[in-house]
Amino acid sequence: MRHFLFAAALTCLPALAIAQADDHVITDTVEQHILPRFKTLADTSQTLAATAQTDCAASSAPLRAAYSDAFDAWVAASHLRFGPTEVEDRAFALAFWPDSRGATPKSLSALIQAQDPIALDAQEYSQVTIAARGFYALEFLLYDDDLNTAGDAAYHCTLVKTVTADIAATSAAILQDWQTDYAGRMMDADTSDTYRSKDEVRQELFKSLTAGLQFTAETRLGRPLGTYDRPRATRAEARRAGRSERHVILSLQSTKDMAIHLAGSDTALAQRAAHEFDTALAQLAELDDPDFSGVDTPASRLKLEVIQQSVEAIRTLALQEIGPKLGVASGFNALDGD
Amino acid sequence: MKQLQLLTTVAAVAFASPAFAVEKTDVLANYANIAAAKYEDSVITAQRLQTAVAALVATPSAENLTAARHAWIAARVPYQQSEVYRFGNPIVDDWEGKVNAWPLDEGLIDYVDASYGGPSDENEFAALNVVANKTFTLSGTEIDATKITPEFLSETLHEADGVEANVATGYHAIEFLLWGQDLNGHNPGAGNRPWTDYAADATCTNDNCDRRGDYLQAVTDLLVSDLEFMAAQWADDGAARVELTADTDAGLAAILTGMGSLSYGEQAGERMRLGLMLNDSEEEHDCFSDNTHNSHYYDGLGIQSAYLGEYVRVDGTLVSGASLSDMVADTDPALDQEMQAKLSATMMALGRIKTAAEAGFAYDQMLERGNAGGEALVMGGVNGLIDQTRSIERVVTTLGLDQIAFEGSDSLDDPNAVFQ
Repeated sequence: MRHFLFAAALTCLPALAIAQADDHVITDTVEQHILPRFKTLADTSQTLAATAQTDCAASSAPLRAAYSDAFDAWVAASHLRFGPTEVEDRAFALAFWPDSRGATPKSLSALIQAQDPIALDAQEYSQVTIAARGFYALEFLLYDDDLNTAGDAAYHCTLVKTVTADIAATSAAILQDWQTDYAGRMMDADTSDTYRSKDEVRQELFKSLTAGLQFTAETRLGRPLGTYDRPRATRAEARRAGRSERHVILSLQSTKDMAIHLAGSDTALAQRAAHEFDTALAQLAELDDPDFSGVDTPASRLKLEVIQQSVEAIRTLALQEIGPKLGVASGFNALDGD
Repeated sequence: MKQLQLLTTVAAVAFASPAFAVEKTDVLANYANIAAAKYEDSVITAQRLQTAVAALVATPSAENLTAARHAWIAARVPYQQSEVYRFGNPIVDDWEGKVNAWPLDEGLIDYVDASYGGPSDENEFAALNVVANKTFTLSGTEIDATKITPEFLSETLHEADGVEANVATGYHAIEFLLWGQDLNGHNPGAGNRPWTDYAADATCTNDNCDRRGDYLQAVTDLLVSDLEFMAAQWADDGAARVELTADTDAGLAAILTGMGSLSYGEQAGERMRLGLMLNDSEEEHDCFSDNTHNSHYYDGLGIQSAYLGEYVRVDGTLVSGASLSDMVADTDPALDQEMQAKLSATMMALGRIKTAAEAGFAYDQMLERGNAGGEALVMGGVNGLIDQTRSIERVVTTLGLDQIAFEGSDSLDDPNAVFQ
C-alpha cells in the first residue's frame, strides 16, 4: 500500500509543476494561433463568395486567385478539428477529402444533369451531400476538365456562386462560435462543462497537433505514395488545381506555429521542434512536384518518401516530448478507425 | 505550496483506494475470457451459416435462401460485439480485414446493375466479376480462376491490386452473395437476389450459378476457419491472451484503446456520420441486407460490455467478472457513474435506430437528404459515441494509463525505424 502511494505521488508531481509554470500556453495558443486562422478563413471565404458573384467563369483568374487564398486559409486551420468546426457538418462541408469512392464528381454531375433547383439558394444548399460542398467540390467545378464546363452554363455559374456562398457562411459560423463562445470555454476551462480542467484543454490542443501531423503524413503524402510497386498519383490531394505539395507546406507551417506555442516557456524544446519542421520544409522547397505526379518516377518518389519520414519524425518528437511536457496523452482522434 | 498540494493529492489517493482494490490481472483475465466467448460464439453461428449455405447450394430454393440469410443475420450478433477487441489488440486488427472488410466494390465478385459503373480511378477491378470470368489479368499476370477455392479468395482475389475495396472474403462478401445489390436507393427494402441465382439447371438466372455456388461455399468455409483461428488466439495459451497479459498496464490501456477508437474514429465517424453527411445509402455498413441498425447496435453493446466486464453468450449464459468499471469505482466513483451513464445513453440512442428500423423506417431512409427524423436518430447515436469517448479519455487518465497508450507503437519503440 505504501509503495502504491509513493508511486502515485511521483506521477502527480510533474503535472502539478506544469500547471503552475505554463498557464499562458492555452491563452496564447487560442489568441495567437487559433483565432487568427479562423478570422483569415472567414475573411478570404467572404472575398471568394463576393468574387464569384461578379465573376463565376471557371477559368476566371480573379476567381481562381480568391479560391486559392481561401483554400490556403482552410489548410492552415485544418488541424483544428474540435469545437466549432465539428458543430453540424461544418468542417466536413468545407473539406470532404479523401474521397475514395468518387462521391464528389458523382454528386456534382448529378446536380448539374438534373439542374437541381437546390443550387439556387445557399441556405438550402446546406442540405446537400458534403461531397458536393466546400473547397474540394469547387476544385472540380473550376479545374476538372469535364466538370468545369459541364451542363448548362447559367446553371454552372449559379452552382459556383452557391458553393462559394455556402463556404463563406460556414466559415463565418465557425469564426463566430470561436469568438463568442468557444475561446472562452478553452481559456476558462474549470467553469465550462466542455473541459473540466486545463489538462483537458491541453490534451485537446495537443491532439489536434498530432492528428494534423498524422493526416499530413498518412493521407496527404501516404495516399499518392501508395506502395513502391503501385504508386497512386491520381489520389493526390487537390491535384487538379496543382495544390498537393502546397497543402503539405501550408499544413507544416501551421502546425509548426502550434508546436512552438505548445512548447511554451521551454525554448529548447521549441527550437528542437522548429528544427524538425524546418528540415521537412527545406526538403519540400527542393521538391518542385506541385501535384505529386512524381510518385511515378523513382527519383522523385524517393524525395517524397523522405519528406514523409521527416513528418513522422516531427510527430514522434511531439508524442515523446511535447505531450509529456504538457502532461497529457494523445487521446483518440478521427483517424483511429480504418 | 507545491509540497502542500502534493500532500493533498497523496491523501486523496489514499482515501479513494480501499484495501480490497480490484486486481488488474483479474480484469484482464475476464476481458480475455469474454473475447474467447465472443469469438467462439462467432464460430458457432458461422458454422450454422455454413450448414445453411450448403443446403442452399445442394438444394436451391426460396426457403433455403431465406434460411441462409437468417443464419447470416444471427452470425453478426456475436461478431459485432467482438469488434471492440479490434483496435487495442494488434493480433485482432491485423486479422480483421479478412472477415469484416468494408466498404467493398462488389462488382469484383459478381454481376451488378448498370448504374454501378465500371472500373474507376481508384480501382481497375471494381467490375471484374470473377463469378463470370475464369481468367483475368492482375498486374500483368494471367490469373486462373477456374476453381474458386478458399485459398484463391484469400491469397489472390482479396485486396487484389492492393485496393482495400476489393473485398473478396468475409461477412460482407457473403452478404452480397445472399442478398445482391440493394437497388432501392433511399426507399425501404434490402437486396433482392433471386434464389434462382443458385439454381442448377435451365432455371439458373444471371448465369454461372455453379460458380456462384462455389464462391459462396468457399467464402463461408473461409469465414469459419478464420474465426476458428481467432478463437484459438484467446484460448488459455493463445497468442492474443499472452500478449494482453504480458504487461498489465499496457493490457488495461489496450481495453480502453479498443473502446475509444471504435467509438470515435470508426463507428461515430466512418460508419455513421459519414454516410449521413454524404446522404449515401451505399455508405451503410450492412448495405445489402439492410441490417445496419443491428450492426451499429451490437458494436455499441460490445463497447459497453468491455467496460462492464459482462457478455451474454448466444446460448444465454453470462460471462462476467472483474471489470474496468470496478477499478474506476474504486478510485473515482463519480467517473464510473459518468462512464456507465454515457454508455447507457449511447445504447438508448442506438436502440432507437434499431427499433425504428425494425418497425419499417429503414436505415437507408434515415440517410436521405432532408430527412430530419432520420438525421436526428443517426446523430443521436453519433453524439452518444463521441460523448462517451471523452469519458473514456478521463478513465485513461484516472487509471494512470495516459503515457501507456502510445508507448507500444512501433515508431516510438524505435524512433529510428521510420528512417529505415
